[in-house]
Amino acid sequence: MPKLIIDDIAVEAAEGVSVLEAAKSVGITIPHFCWHPALGRAGACRVCAVKLLDGPVKGIQMSCMLPAQEGMVVSTTDPEAVALRRQVIEWLMINHPHDCPVCDEGGECQLQDFTIACGHGTRRFVGPKRTHVNQELGPYISHEMNRCIQCYRCVRFYQEYAGGSDFGVMGSAGKVYYGRFESGQLESPFSGNLVDICPTGVFTDKTARFRARYWDYDMAPSVCPGCSVGCNITPVARYRELLKIVARRNDMVNGWFICDRGRFAPKGVNAPSRPRTSLVDGVKTGREEAMDALLRRLGEVAELYGEGSIAVVGSTRLSQEGATLLPLLAESISAGALSYGLSAAESRASSGAISMLTLENGASIADVENADCIAIYESDLREEGPMLLLAVRQAWRRGAPVLLVGENSPLEQVRGVGIEAVQLHYMEEAPLAIFERPVVIAGMRHGDPRVMAVLDRSGARVACLFPGPNGHGAALLCAEHGGIPLEEALAKGKVKGLVAVEADIPAELLAGVPFVASLDWRETAAVQAASVVIPTAAWVECDGTYVNFEGRAQRFSRVMKPGLPIKELDPACHPPRIHQGDPPGGDILPSWQVMIEMIRLAGEKVPDGPFSGSWANLTSLDPEGEGEVIRGRCRRDS
Amino acid sequence: MAGADVIPDPMEITLVIAKIGLVLLVILTLAAYLVFAERRILAWIQDRKGPNRVGPFGLLQPLADLIKLLTKEDFCPPAGDRWLFFLAPAMAAIPAIMTFAIVPFGAPVRIFGRDLPMQVADLHVGLLLFMALSSIAVYGVALGGWASNSKYALLGSLRGLAQLISYELSMGLSLVPTVMLARSFRLSDIVAAQEGGWFILYQPMAFAIFLVSILAECKRIPFDLPEAEGELVAGFHTEYSGMRFGLFFVGEYINILVLGGLAATFFLGGWQGPLLPGLLWFWGKVLAFAFLFIWIRGTLPRLRYDQLMHLGWKVLTPMALVNILATAWWLYLAGSSPL
Amino acid sequence: MRVIDDMTAILTGLWTTWKHILRRPVTIQYPEEKRIPSPRYRARIILTRDPDGGERCVACYLCSAACPVDCISMQAEEGEGGRRRAAWFRINFSRCIFCGFCAEACPTMAIQMTPDYEICRRDVMDLVFEKEDLLVEHCGKDPEYNFYRHAGIGVTQPRGEGEGEKPTVDVRGLMP
Ligand code: SF4
Ligand code: SF4
Ligand code: SF4
Ligand code: SF4
Repeated sequence: MPKLIIDDIAVEAAEGVSVLEAAKSVGITIPHFCWHPALGRAGACRVCAVKLLDGPVKGIQMSCMLPAQEGMVVSTTDPEAVALRRQVIEWLMINHPHDCPVCDEGGECQLQDFTIACGHGTRRFVGPKRTHVNQELGPYISHEMNRCIQCYRCVRFYQEYAGGSDFGVMGSAGKVYYGRFESGQLESPFSGNLVDICPTGVFTDKTARFRARYWDYDMAPSVCPGCSVGCNITPVARYRELLKIVARRNDMVNGWFICDRGRFAPKGVNAPSRPRTSLVDGVKTGREEAMDALLRRLGEVAELYGEGSIAVVGSTRLSQEGATLLPLLAESISAGALSYGLSAAESRASSGAISMLTLENGASIADVENADCIAIYESDLREEGPMLLLAVRQAWRRGAPVLLVGENSPLEQVRGVGIEAVQLHYMEEAPLAIFERPVVIAGMRHGDPRVMAVLDRSGARVACLFPGPNGHGAALLCAEHGGIPLEEALAKGKVKGLVAVEADIPAELLAGVPFVASLDWRETAAVQAASVVIPTAAWVECDGTYVNFEGRAQRFSRVMKPGLPIKELDPACHPPRIHQGDPPGGDILPSWQVMIEMIRLAGEKVPDGPFSGSWANLTSLDPEGEGEVIRGRCRRDS
Repeated sequence: MAGADVIPDPMEITLVIAKIGLVLLVILTLAAYLVFAERRILAWIQDRKGPNRVGPFGLLQPLADLIKLLTKEDFCPPAGDRWLFFLAPAMAAIPAIMTFAIVPFGAPVRIFGRDLPMQVADLHVGLLLFMALSSIAVYGVALGGWASNSKYALLGSLRGLAQLISYELSMGLSLVPTVMLARSFRLSDIVAAQEGGWFILYQPMAFAIFLVSILAECKRIPFDLPEAEGELVAGFHTEYSGMRFGLFFVGEYINILVLGGLAATFFLGGWQGPLLPGLLWFWGKVLAFAFLFIWIRGTLPRLRYDQLMHLGWKVLTPMALVNILATAWWLYLAGSSPL
Repeated sequence: MRVIDDMTAILTGLWTTWKHILRRPVTIQYPEEKRIPSPRYRARIILTRDPDGGERCVACYLCSAACPVDCISMQAEEGEGGRRRAAWFRINFSRCIFCGFCAEACPTMAIQMTPDYEICRRDVMDLVFEKEDLLVEHCGKDPEYNFYRHAGIGVTQPRGEGEGEKPTVDVRGLMP
């Protein structure tokens, strides 16, 4: 632990960190472009100059390249260092275009910040600027090469960190160009991170092109609903429209990055066809009336078909709040069946997984990154958890062999991140025992519950990829309350009334059910088939909790108010000229609150909040924190 | 005048009523135009033009103001004391008007074969009646502020109470020498006593004290602490609107006229003056006082409360007392007919 | 003596105000007489066009960020040829304090203040000006300036042909 002095502050730096990081640890930001916490240093931009007054090295040094050493005395404010930084920025800006007003990076631009921080204001050089031709990089990312300051972050991320091979750097000297060999969509499933990682506006999010500025954004810490990895994100909204999604750092989950699916896949929040008013037989009504009608008709169904003819169906995308209240709702309307999922196979695999997982044998992403051998069992990670693929690549870069087990683990998935892998047929073939920190990544889609026992015995840490963002939480509750998969419930033929709470039930399954009600914010088949529809708030419109694959409960916060986006209210191409308190379509509650209202209407005792009893510890989760690991609570032998 | 056992002459009654009507008309019109004149003069002092839109030279402005005040909502704060709230403005305006009954505003004229004094009531205790009525006017301020149930109004009325009571003392004391000189409380006698020379010549000190005291009695700048816009919104009449506010407002201007008239009566020989008819002399003097008040308002800043009390109790009152003693001594030395 | 000093002070004050009574008022009788404000007067705001007739405003949100009373709102969108422009642009003149910060912040000289100060309306909603009401058909002040000629992103001219730009780099060329 070297001790050094930076700007008169005594710092005890961790072994091997640079002076720049040591300064950062005590709150001194030294301007930098090429250095990135996840990518390390390159020494390309020369803007992190500091002056060493005393110690093993002296004079002007690049702080990102210089390991912190015992006895160093560093000044970031020395006139010589300040002058150098100012001149370096001035030189970087010589070719930078004059286009902040039309640049989507403006306002969240590291170049703007550090240019101002370094004190450069006016371009003194009068010569012409170099220009580049841009490339068409597909529907998600726009390219504006004139803005490049040659920091090499993009290439280092794309090629080294994410293993992409279709993007790189060309040319030399004043001609350096970062792009593909020719125009075309970027192939890496992590290409969207170029937007976050480029310190300038070379790569910007095309889906949010020319929409808003950083200072106007509605933002909040949130969790990606794309898969069970639960990457931390910051959704960005403006005027009640979800504009884009950027990665949010959480070292226990996704680190600095997210995958393209989480970033760019259509989220449905902005879909014009989204249910926004309560409907009874297709007629718009108030929420209270719709709930009344729903309860009345459920009563009729129960009368007609007898006890137990009603099923309440949740899903793995329903927040943990909603999922915990689901059994109470089922009880209050005397439902005969409670399900958290559709497929029987998936359900069996999930329940096998939760009864196998313990606090010790579960693997986090960090465990995957540090593994010395990785087996991917019956899973296509591109579908089930893309960010794990990036983690697998980091382990592979450190020398860990990658094994693909089972016929549902295609080789193409690892090719996308530039990994070599060995294919096996059975889990038993994997020589996990000879490694110190082996990790198995198991898919639930095709997973065989019997293998769980094998995994349990193997001594490896296991990452089980549950379906949906809250698959783990739903599986825990399912086990706790004796839920059955919907397929099974329907197979008995007894279900005549069905309440779908944010559940994606295909039309075929609903065909034989005379009465369907749906609480949802997406226009699903269930919403279309339902005679009573009550809209709920989408995940960016309310607070909630997801339990990710490793059993980490993470809180997400409300990003924007529910309601029709201004864009859709727009008769004469400007926002309405009437002022009112709530936006049109804004009277929407999160699904758990709708359920509480229904329980109240049904005359049952209403719980204080979504979490009570053994779940009460989830009440005070910090959305900005690391989350809380709750796995293992269902293990049979504990 | 007519005793209790004498049946009054109907002619006499008619004439008195006519006089009352005339006085009321003149006073109210003058007060209204005084408001207008004040706004114009203040505007000139501030290099502006002042109200000049309604009618020729803005002369119909008072009418417009009246219409505005009459049509405004008559509002009483819900937590206020309704009856007192409605009573207070009248308490402020009526004593001011009533005081004018004792002011002789012209030389007596002969009409229908009888001597008609230009005065509504020539009481032999006229001066005392004036003191009594001016004390009653204090209630207007006090009740208005109290009944509003508002902190600004209450503070304003408390200040008003203290101020009016304090300056009443110096005002009354400054009048004692006048009475000593005229040997009567009757205002017509006081005027008559000044035939040889206005009392201001004998009693400049008393005049100065009286002038300052009536400024304070009118609650005019520099003594406008009960209203003090900068501090108390509008002081004791903060909560008033419409014609009730109008009554407070017009009461203040009637007060200026009345006190100006009394100042003229006590110190400037009343209606007496060479060449011109008495009526003109009197009203000329009254208007001169009114102009002086406006001019002072356009010039001086407001006193602080402690300065106000200091001036009243530690300067004016002792000075008035000394002045009385001096006058008495002088009268003693000069014998029975000093003038 | 203090009394004398005080009296002199009061009398001097009275004399000063007396002199002003006789002075000519400075009042301007507004609707009949009007003052001609200087061209830099800060009143009704306009959105100008560049010399080619295109909208100058690129909906960069800097004016709305600079506005201390938050009375500017807009929505940016992509127009033809990759031009950034405002889909809608609204200034609430009932809130505007005519500080001119917006005009100062504008990097494209689009938003400008004019000397037209007579913008009272009977209905307050009429003071909410939309883009149609704000956009004018001239360049206002700075008639020569065209942001896109300098911007270096090639909207009004091919890339590499703007003012002060080199022709685009041939990345496949082998010359140093
Ligand atoms: S990259 Fe940054 S500095 Fe460059 S134009 Fe965009 S916002 Fe401005
Ligand atoms: S494109 Fe961006 S990340 Fe890549 S070198 Fe240029 S500035 Fe750096
Ligand atoms: S002048 Fe000032 S207040 Fe008015 S729009 Fe511009 S910035 Fe806002
Ligand atoms: S600052 Fe100028 S260019 Fe930017 S949005 Fe405002 S008016 Fe348009």
